[in-house]
Amino acid sequence: MRTSTKRFQQFFSRYKILTLLFAIVVIWVFFGQITDGAFLTPRNFSNLLRQMAITGMLASGMVFIIIAGEIDLSVGAQLGLLGGICAIMDYHYHLPVAVTIGTVVVLGVAMGMFNGYWVAYLRVPSFIVSLAGFLAFRGALLGITQGVTIPLESEGLVMIGQAYLPIMLGNLLGLAVFALLAVLTFRSRAGRAKHGLSVAPLWQDLAKLTLIGAMIAGFIATLNQYEGIPVPVFVTLIILGVFSFMANMTVFGRRIYSIGSNLEATRLSGVNVRVVKMIVFGLMGLMCALAGLTTTARLAAGSPSAGNLGELDAIASCFIGGASSRGGVGTVYGALIGALIMASLDNGMSMLGVASFWQMIVKGLILLLAVWVDVMSGAGNER
Amino acid sequence: MSEYLLDMRGIVKDFNGVKALDGIDLKVRPGEIVGLCGENGAGKSTLMKVLSAVYPYGTWQGQIFWEGRELKAKSIRETEEAGIVIIHQELMLVPQLSVAENIFMGNEITLPGGLMNFEAMYQRSEELMAELKMPDVNVALPVYHYGGGHQQLIEIAKALNKNAKLLILDEPTSSLTRSETEILLDIIRDLKRKGVACVMISHKLDEVAAVCDTVSVIRDGTHVGTRAMREIDTNEIITMMVGREIKNLFPREEHPIGEVFFEARNVTCLDVNNPARKRVDDISFTLRKGEILGVAGLVGAGRTELAMAIFGCYPGQYEAELWLDGKPIKVDSPRAAVTQGISMVPEDRKRHGIVPLLGVGANITLAVLDDYAKFGSIDAEAELAQIQKSIARMRIKTASPDLPIKGLSGGNQQKGVLSKMLLPSPKVLILDEPTRGVDVGAKYEIYKLMFELVRQGLSIIMISSELPEVLGISDRVLVIGEGRLRGDFINDGLTQEQVLAAALGQDGDTIH
Repeated sequence: MRTSTKRFQQFFSRYKILTLLFAIVVIWVFFGQITDGAFLTPRNFSNLLRQMAITGMLASGMVFIIIAGEIDLSVGAQLGLLGGICAIMDYHYHLPVAVTIGTVVVLGVAMGMFNGYWVAYLRVPSFIVSLAGFLAFRGALLGITQGVTIPLESEGLVMIGQAYLPIMLGNLLGLAVFALLAVLTFRSRAGRAKHGLSVAPLWQDLAKLTLIGAMIAGFIATLNQYEGIPVPVFVTLIILGVFSFMANMTVFGRRIYSIGSNLEATRLSGVNVRVVKMIVFGLMGLMCALAGLTTTARLAAGSPSAGNLGELDAIASCFIGGASSRGGVGTVYGALIGALIMASLDNGMSMLGVASFWQMIVKGLILLLAVWVDVMSGAGNER
Repeated sequence: MSEYLLDMRGIVKDFNGVKALDGIDLKVRPGEIVGLCGENGAGKSTLMKVLSAVYPYGTWQGQIFWEGRELKAKSIRETEEAGIVIIHQELMLVPQLSVAENIFMGNEITLPGGLMNFEAMYQRSEELMAELKMPDVNVALPVYHYGGGHQQLIEIAKALNKNAKLLILDEPTSSLTRSETEILLDIIRDLKRKGVACVMISHKLDEVAAVCDTVSVIRDGTHVGTRAMREIDTNEIITMMVGREIKNLFPREEHPIGEVFFEARNVTCLDVNNPARKRVDDISFTLRKGEILGVAGLVGAGRTELAMAIFGCYPGQYEAELWLDGKPIKVDSPRAAVTQGISMVPEDRKRHGIVPLLGVGANITLAVLDDYAKFGSIDAEAELAQIQKSIARMRIKTASPDLPIKGLSGGNQQKGVLSKMLLPSPKVLILDEPTRGVDVGAKYEIYKLMFELVRQGLSIIMISSELPEVLGISDRVLVIGEGRLRGDFINDGLTQEQVLAAALGQDGDTIH
C-alpha cells in the first residue's frame, strides 16, 4: 500500500504534463456527456480556445515572473489600460492600425519594465509594486475612458480578436511547425554525436515525432471543421513556441530558473540578476499589451472593466500548471494547460447554465485541489 | 532493564529502493557520550532522523529500544516526550524572538486564557543559563543579539528544558570559535555527570577524541564498528570511516611561486547595521602568482567580509583598492570580479553556493553560460560536453547531470560549486571555508585540486577556521583579528600556537 502510494506520487511528479492532460480529458468527457456532445463539437472547441487565449497570454508572461520568485497583481489592470489606449487611439484619433498596435506594444513593455525597475533596482517587493499598479493602472484607465466604453472603428483591429487564419495557411503552418521540430530533433542528434555524447535510438525519436505530428494534424483538422485557427489562438501558440524555446534553450531562460531557485548564489556567480528580473517584467508587459489588444478587438470596444481580475486567472493557471509558489519551478506549456483547464470549466459550466457564483466556487476549489495534488506529489522528494 | 538507554538494532531505511541505511546498530548507555562518525552521505543524519521520528515508525525496518522498551514513535513530539532531543547543525532558533521565548517554544508556560507567563519563563530560562555557565545572558533579549556559540548553548538549554535524557548534537561546533568549542565540550562533559547521554555527530575528530567515551563509525549505510575511545586514536577512526588509509591528510606538494600578482590595499568594511563599527579595518596584503595564501582568524574576525569586499559583494559600505597583474582594477559587483579574473567559492554553500533546484550541470555552467550561446540561444550539446568534462575532472558523484544538485552530498555539492567558479578561468580564486561540512575523502580531493591549480599559475586565497588545514596547505598565512591584520607569516615551521597568539592579539612576530 505504502509503496504503491509512493509509486503513484513519483508518477505524478515525473509526468506532471500527463496528469494535467488527463485532467483535461476527464473534464471534457464529463462536460461532453452531460451536454450530449455539444461541448465536444469543433465549434465549441474553437470557442473554448479563443476564450483561453487571453488568459493564456497573461499566464505565459506570469509563469516567468512566478519562476523568478516574484508575483504581478497588476496585469489585469495593465491589460485594461493598454486595451483602453488602443480604443482611444483608434476611435478618437483615427490613427493607422499599425501605429496603434506599435504604440500599445511599446507602452506595454515600458509599463512592465517600470514595474520591474521598482522590483529589481529599488527593491520594493513585487507584491507591493504590483498591488500599487493594480490600483493605479485601473485608475488611469477609468480616467482616460471617463468610465465609458469606447468602440473600435478599424476593421483591421477587430480582426485581431475575431478573425480566423485561412484554412490553407493553417495547414501550411502545421506542416512548418512539424518540419521545424523534425529538423531540431535531427540537429540535436547530430550535435550529441559530434560531442561524443550518447544518442537515443532512432526509432524512439521517430515515434516521438510521429505522435507529435498526429497531434498537430488532429488539432488543425478539428479547427478546420469550423472556421480555421482563430487569430488569438494563433498568437498564443506562437508565444508558446517562442517562450518555451526561451525557457529551455536560452541563457536568459536558464537565468530565470536560477534566480528563482537561489538569487544570491546566482548573483555571486557573476550574473547580473537585476537586468534579468527587469526583462522578465518587461515581457509580462508585452503580454499585457497583446492581451489588451486582443480583448479590445474581441469586444470591438475598449471597456473600463476589461481585464478585471485577469491577474487572478493568470496566476491560478500558472499554479494549476505546476509552477511553484516558492519560485524556480514552472513551464510555459503547463501554464497554458492550466489556462485551458480554467477556460474549459468556464465554458462547460456556462453551457450548462450554472450560475456564475457557482462557477467561481468551482474554480476556486479546482485551484486548491490542483496545488494540493502538486504538493502531495512533491512530498515524496523531500529527504 | 537493559544496560542501555538506547539500543537501535538493524535499522534499514531506503529511499525509492536506494538503501541509505542497511542494518545499523547503535547503543548508548545512560550518561555516555557516543561519537558518531562517517563521511558525508554515510547515513549519520538519516540515522538520527529515524531515531527522532522525523521518519516515523513504519517507514523503516528494525527496532529501537528506549530504556528497555520498544519505541514506536510516530512523531518528533513523542520522541521528545521520551527524552530524545536532536539539535540540528543549522540551528532552529527564531532570531527575532527572545532567548526565553525560544527556549520555551512549543511548550510555553501559560496563564489562564493562553497568556504567556513571561515571569515564570524568564526565571526558568535564567536558571538554565546559569546551569550552562552563561549567567550574563539576558533572556529577554532577541536571540540575534548573541553569536553562534551562545546560540548553540541556547539550543541546548531548550533541550534541557524538555528534560532530555539523550541529546543528539549534529556538527555542534561547525560554526564555533575555538574557545566557544571548549565551553561547549565542557558543558557536554558536565551534562554527562548529571546523567544526560549524548550522541555527537562530528567531522572534527580531535573533538570526538576529547569528549567521547565510545565512537561508532558508519560507512555507506552500514555499521563499521563501535570502539571505546581509549582503545583507538583519530587515525584509526579515519581509516574506519574511509575504509582505506589516508596517510597524509594534507597532501602538500612543492610548487613554484612567482612574483606579486595581486594586491589589495586599504580594505575597510563598515558594519551594515552600525556604520560606526569597522568589520575590516584598513587591511592591505599581496598575493604571488601560484601562491596559496591561508587566511586564519577567529570567527567574526572579518575574514569573510574581507573576501566579500574583494569580490565586490560586501553588503555595507566599503573601500578597497585592488591591483591585478600590475594594473588597478575596479570591482563593484561579483560580475565585475568574475569578468576580471577573480572567483569566489562562498562560505555558506546552501545560501550562496548552489542553486538547489537546477541540475548539477546547470549549476556548473551558471557563470559561463554566455560562452555556450549564440544570440542568447544555448548550444545544449557543447554545454553538456563541458559539463561532463567538469564532472569527470572533479569526480562528482551524480547519476545524471540533470539531477537537481540539492540531492547530492555536501562534498559533491562543494565540488560542483568549485567547478562552477573555475570555468570562468580565474587568475585569483578565493575559497571561503572550502572544506566545511565536507567528508574526509572529498577534502583530500579538494586539496589535491588546489595544488593542481596553483601549479597551473592560479593564485589562491583560502579562508579557513581549521588551523591544521591552514598550516597544512598554505604557503603563507595572514592572521586577522578584530578586523585588523595581525600577522603575515611565511608557513615554514609555523605552529598553531603562533597563529592563535596572533589572532588573539598577543605579540606574534611578523615575518615578511
